Amino acid sequence: MPKIKLEHVVMRFGTVTAARDINVTINSGEYVTILGPSGCGKTTLIKMISGILHPTEGRVLIDGADVTDVPIEDRDVGYVFQNIALFPHMDLKDNVGYGPRVRDMSREETDAVAEEYLSLVRMLDRSGYLPSELSGGEQQKVAIARALASGSKVIMLDEPLSALDARVRVELRYDIRRLVKKLGITVLHVTHDQEEAMSVSDRIILMRKGTIHETGTPLEIYRDPKSIFAAYFIGETNLIECTVVKRTKKGNTQVVLRDGSVTRVAGIRFEVGDPVVLSVRPEHVYTANDGIRAVVRDVVFMGTYWRVRTEADSQDLIDYNISADTDTPSKGDVVYLVFNKKAARLFARPIQGLQEEIVLE
Amino acid sequence: MSLIKTVDEISSNPRNRKAWLALACVIFAVIIVIPAVYVIFSIPSNWSGIQDVLSDSAMMSIIWGAIWNSFSLAFIVTIIDIIVGLPMAWMLVRKSYRFGKYLDTFIDMPLAFPTVALGFSVIVFWGCPEGITVPGTGLVVDPYLMVILLHIIFTYPYMVRCLSGILEQIDTNYETAAMTLGASKWTAVRTITLPLFRAGLVTGFILCFARSLSETGGTYIVLRMMGATTLDVTGFFTGPTLISTIKDIPETDSMPVLILISSLLIVFALLMLFVAKAVMTRLRIPWRKVWPQFGRRVSGRKVAGTKDVLAFLFALIFVLLPSFYIFVCLGTEGTYSDYGGFLGAVGASFLVAGAATVFDVIFGVPVAMYIARNRGTKRAELLDNLVNVPLIIPTTALGVSLGLFWGQLGLSSMGMLLVIFGHISFTYPLLVRNLVGAIEEVDPSYEEIARTLGAKPFQAFRKVLLPMVKSSLLAGAVLAFTRSLGETGATQAIADVSTVPIYIVDLINANDYFGAAVSSVMLIAICFVFMFGLRIVISRMGGKD
Repeated sequence: MPKIKLEHVVMRFGTVTAARDINVTINSGEYVTILGPSGCGKTTLIKMISGILHPTEGRVLIDGADVTDVPIEDRDVGYVFQNIALFPHMDLKDNVGYGPRVRDMSREETDAVAEEYLSLVRMLDRSGYLPSELSGGEQQKVAIARALASGSKVIMLDEPLSALDARVRVELRYDIRRLVKKLGITVLHVTHDQEEAMSVSDRIILMRKGTIHETGTPLEIYRDPKSIFAAYFIGETNLIECTVVKRTKKGNTQVVLRDGSVTRVAGIRFEVGDPVVLSVRPEHVYTANDGIRAVVRDVVFMGTYWRVRTEADSQDLIDYNISADTDTPSKGDVVYLVFNKKAARLFARPIQGLQEEIVLE
Repeated sequence: MSLIKTVDEISSNPRNRKAWLALACVIFAVIIVIPAVYVIFSIPSNWSGIQDVLSDSAMMSIIWGAIWNSFSLAFIVTIIDIIVGLPMAWMLVRKSYRFGKYLDTFIDMPLAFPTVALGFSVIVFWGCPEGITVPGTGLVVDPYLMVILLHIIFTYPYMVRCLSGILEQIDTNYETAAMTLGASKWTAVRTITLPLFRAGLVTGFILCFARSLSETGGTYIVLRMMGATTLDVTGFFTGPTLISTIKDIPETDSMPVLILISSLLIVFALLMLFVAKAVMTRLRIPWRKVWPQFGRRVSGRKVAGTKDVLAFLFALIFVLLPSFYIFVCLGTEGTYSDYGGFLGAVGASFLVAGAATVFDVIFGVPVAMYIARNRGTKRAELLDNLVNVPLIIPTTALGVSLGLFWGQLGLSSMGMLLVIFGHISFTYPLLVRNLVGAIEEVDPSYEEIARTLGAKPFQAFRKVLLPMVKSSLLAGAVLAFTRSLGETGATQAIADVSTVPIYIVDLINANDYFGAAVSSVMLIAICFVFMFGLRIVISRMGGKD
């Protein structure tokens, strides 16, 4: 049964449209991330679901009931803020117990609930501390406990990890997922970090300019993006402008680059003569004795592998990876590149140009 | 230009910077702090005279009565300010009514009105004083109530400013978070936002309390026109007005009485400062319990709307209308021709206010910078507390104290200089307070970056910090200037310099009410033209740098 449903939701702030005709369904117990460049309307979307914002048009449904006009406090949607927003004048126990308290539970019940949820995030031993005495990661754990302790079965995470240190961020994201899965909570997690989105979510909603651009499981979007923007924004990719010259009998499409060199991509979606863009991720580019001729421009160590940046004779910039313990080419060396044709994708070349298509804002 | 360059060079030596700061601190101590409390130390040398006063039971009952009036009035006024100021601050910061911008400006206006003009306006509006043909409401005949109505007018803007300043800083996410956890708006505000207000409330409380405690001119006019300034059981006084009244009596030696009243006022005011700080920081809003049903009911749009309307009506009826009522007096018949006397008084007022403000800026900036940039160190905290001292002391008592101190040093003949010193004392904290707040907002790394780019310390201050705090510095200077322009008590207590407020009080004493009204309106007009002009200059300057 769908837990959350948005129908034709529009949000305008004066002349700015932050969300245009959004239709989306979130299933019960699903962990969904909303990914997109800053300013694309991600936060607006979850604020409308939690009732902080009232949509200009459209309906918000939770558990099948229309909650568009239900005030924040009656929606039962937890919300975790990017800046954490633990109440600075209350200790952790009072913070986590705030939800039960404002529902007029007795002191004993409130404390029991607070302790239960603090122990779930392993912060029970700090229950008497003030928020300012904790590190950022610990504070965010408590904020999540607080959202859950109010009894919400749905929580919104508004870039919960972006203010934290890199390592804490990685650990905490798995902790959060484990916890909400254990409790069967439905989560909408807003982030602009594509790696974070890939590693924790059941499903990704990719947003752009106030609309939902694409949805799918992380693997679907990564392996088989339906647009140049998705290919570019999620993971890394080389984008090469080329033209279809032949549809082979084996089911491949042969394309020609600007300098006349030729390569093949699996699948035959385009007609001969169609202008297309070839997308191939750096990990699917290899060197060989023959192929697209390119000159090495730069070799960068990425921490666990080498990234070789080359410029092909067609003047396209093509990156590829080699493992950390192999020999690297030097600047100026000539290499011949081949693509994994099954992993490469072709898209129709956008009329307004490639750069316009992938611009972030 | 070359002078500035020389200063730039000098400033790169840390020893010079230290010397400059030390000089500013010494001047602060010698001109502002020590003279302000000197009166207490003069008690032993005047002991025999004071003993006579202490044994005069009729006098003593008047003195105690006046002091009780002062403190109870200030307390009641401040509490009213908090109760009605909070919804107004809320409305100004959180709601976006279309008239909000105008309201914002209007609320500040009484600050530009000299209190003598306000006093005159208030008594005409609420009372029905003899000798004035303008019809007042005639609702208030009790001097105590009348003084409360007057004091609310000039303390209310302080409270609203103070509370809205704090409210702007409180992250609205706290409230939203509380609401996502199931709290109604009312419960969220009561349990989350209000407790976070505490620090702001302390400042607002002290500011309003001190202002009310210290006010002389307006209160004196109100009491005088109600016929309450007789030195016997039928009289009604506040501490400062009692000092002015006694000073006006051409008696031979009133010094012991003045010393006694001033010392009592100063000691109680300082005690009050500590008590207020201690109580307010420990005060906890005790209700842990919430009432979800009730909270929900009062969170509705209707209740909120009613609250806004009431807050607006209060401001209109109790603050704005009585302030502006003085303009009605111009329509009455009467003659006023002493424009020469008025202009002379304006000249004196501007000289005093200008000199005091320039002094405040020059010697206030280094102290403000030190306090803001060394938060947490003992020395900075000490300075911070000392700066508040002249703020809390009633200005009339301050004037008496100052007069004694400089008189002791044989300077009593230089009346004008002493009045300037007096005005420096109570305007200095206004400027420094404003500036400390502004400098604390600016990340020190800006100046550090300027230094790494090769700027001398004074250059970094001039080109980086100053442009960022310029508006606060100017706001502080304007505040200091207008406050000085409107001051009565301190001037009166120090020397015989006829500034405009003194001039107006003299007219009232001579029962020339029409003349007082005309002069008050002219003074208001001058204040407005001055502030408006300054605002234009500031906005022009904003483009450059």
